[in-house]
Amino acid sequence: MYLVSWFLQRELHFSPKSVCYKDEGTAPCKRNGGKKNQPTFCGGTRQVKQPPTVKHIPFSNQTALIYFKKKLINILPKSKNGNQPEKDSDAAQSLFVGGKMSAPAATQLLDLHSARALVDSVEAFLFDCDGVIWKGDKLIDGVPETLDLLRSKGKKLVFVTNNSTKSRRQYAAKFHSLGISVSEVYVIGMEGIVKELEQAGFTAIGGPEDAEKRAEWKSNTLFEHDKSVGAVVVGLDPYVNYHKLQYATLCVRENPGCLFIATNQDAVGHMTDLQEWPGAGCMVAALRGSTEREPIVVGKPSTFMMDFLLQKFNISTSKMCMVGDRLDTDILFGQSSGCKTLLVLSGVTTETLLHSPSNQIKPDYYTTQVSDFIGFLGS
Amino acid sequence: MLSSRTVVAVASSSSFLPLSHPAAASTSSSASAAAASYPFLNRRLAFSQCHTNRDRSIIPKPQRSRVMEGFKTRAAAAAPQLEDADALIDSVETFIFDCDGVIWKGDKLIDGVPETLDMLRSRGKRLVFVTNNSTKSRKQYGKKFETLGLNVNEEEIFASSFAAAAYLKSIDFPKDKKVYVIGEEGILKELDIAGIQYLGGPEDGDKKIELKPGYFLEHDKDVGAVVVGFDRYFNYYKVQYGTLCIRENPGCLFIATNRDAVTHLTDAQEWAGGGSMVGAVLGSTKQEPLVVGKPSTFMMDYLAKEFGITKSQICMVGDRLDTDILFGQNGGCKTLLVLSGVTSLSTLQSPTNSIQPDFYTNKLSDFLSLKAAAV
Repeated sequence: MYLVSWFLQRELHFSPKSVCYKDEGTAPCKRNGGKKNQPTFCGGTRQVKQPPTVKHIPFSNQTALIYFKKKLINILPKSKNGNQPEKDSDAAQSLFVGGKMSAPAATQLLDLHSARALVDSVEAFLFDCDGVIWKGDKLIDGVPETLDLLRSKGKKLVFVTNNSTKSRRQYAAKFHSLGISVSEVYVIGMEGIVKELEQAGFTAIGGPEDAEKRAEWKSNTLFEHDKSVGAVVVGLDPYVNYHKLQYATLCVRENPGCLFIATNQDAVGHMTDLQEWPGAGCMVAALRGSTEREPIVVGKPSTFMMDFLLQKFNISTSKMCMVGDRLDTDILFGQSSGCKTLLVLSGVTTETLLHSPSNQIKPDYYTTQVSDFIGFLGS
Repeated sequence: MLSSRTVVAVASSSSFLPLSHPAAASTSSSASAAAASYPFLNRRLAFSQCHTNRDRSIIPKPQRSRVMEGFKTRAAAAAPQLEDADALIDSVETFIFDCDGVIWKGDKLIDGVPETLDMLRSRGKRLVFVTNNSTKSRKQYGKKFETLGLNVNEEEIFASSFAAAAYLKSIDFPKDKKVYVIGEEGILKELDIAGIQYLGGPEDGDKKIELKPGYFLEHDKDVGAVVVGFDRYFNYYKVQYGTLCIRENPGCLFIATNRDAVTHLTDAQEWAGGGSMVGAVLGSTKQEPLVVGKPSTFMMDYLAKEFGITKSQICMVGDRLDTDILFGQNGGCKTLLVLSGVTSLSTLQSPTNSIQPDFYTNKLSDFLSLKAAAV
């Protein structure tokens, strides 16, 4: 393979026209200025999903095959319709490799052309909040202007968050359909969950009022729990303690048919702007450890919340774009529902993590922060 | 092609950790990956023997074939009731007893236990007591045995608190590193005896968090291991401290004394156990712990080495299928389930149960009554 790759490098370096599918009338492509160890690679704009991130893959036999495939595309006759490279590449593949080479779908860095295409193709934008709109309690730069810009283009904006410490109506209404006979709910969480449940007509016990309770045990004393609790809801709780864990454990294990519901399973989050703190995933995993049961998760990446959004807005999910900072909740949520996905690097995910070989979740696009839209759409 | 397959294998176990993190390797060998990358860890037999409660398919390598054979035959046949106690007693040299549910229940001794233990000792059997409860140290357990009128030596007791300290000693945990403890006094006392510095424990139970802008929790960069066990003073501060140490201190170990879902703190009911606290730290770090208590065979290997016993000459007596009996099976010893604890006959014989001990009996003192019947 070494000879082939050496050959390819030379060929591609000296080829008169590099492999470039630039569209007529857009900005000229910037060629990679003839660096020896890289193919002449079009840094310009493309419509097609050729892997522009091929330069991120360490040079290997697989890379050599991709370069060879590109070379064959140059040789093969181009069809009238210039936008057919995908088909040609398939032909090249079957010619050369004898089968489909499945590379993971690549993530595109958002740029001028793709941002405009994205905004034109979707009708609604779903934004995660922590790490996209704000960080802890500080607003991220440029966000208000970006949201105004998107609104002025007639896009619907929705804010979808896993944070259950503030009120969210959707959880409450859905609990009804989950457990019709549930009337009492034990909560490990903050006021948000308690308020929502009460608004929906449930009796919520636990929550912040159990923060100061201490569990004591002596022989012949019993830890009492309410036998009519029909569900335990677990969310982020900075005042979690053994009393709450024990109460919830007894409810789930001993009350027949008791539901175990988790608002979300985020491992960590930016509860303050300076560092990450354990998220609801911590409390949920604690209860999973003592009950040995898996929870029903209502937050991202479960597509639970999507049902509401579909009903409310009556837009198909392919015309929605999910904007988030977490791969395993926001982006997975978007992908599972069939939306387009945009990752912003202003939150917990770094570019290294996104491109790391152990990461299997590839958003459609990624960019530094939400206000980049101003730059792309502004003029 | 090879590269893509390898990538998939790594991703399935820990998708969201940077590859440079020691735990980013596959879960079963996270321990050995850490050992390879960091100078103060070395690969000892005990190291590779640790496995988690959940991942029961990971059998310790040296005993894999023997235990797998055991699993095949045992899984097929339902456990018979013990009839010939003498035959069992004669076939082994050592008895390992679980404590809660076998010897005592809460603070009450189970009937007939002192006489049974005396009988076994008179027949020259070695007795060892292994418990997953990390709230007391060996010495404190010795006192509990004494209070209940049992004649037991401190050296015969192995609590998971002791196991955590013994494990750290066995990997030559550096003197300049500290341990952060999410647990109770027992762990602290054992670390003291082993000469290991520690932070945390019950006193952190009063510390409060205020999630407001500008608030920053500092953590000691010298913490080289976080030990998590049952903790009645569990709170958010401890989870955050432990999480910061594990995520940010390079090579920091995450050790769990045990992962029992529930435990009998009182004889009247079950209480959320160590599995809860360990679950919390696992939920926020997304890292699997090294478990030193049952069903990991660390304690069995330790005492086999300490006393020079062959594992096939041991009989494990316990009341829990997923810790005691699995512990015995993983170690390659005979297993006897007693129904005086948390497991009932219906649980044992339920079609969803896949763990079958060699024998079962109602309680420990059956050794005396069955023996008498045989005569």
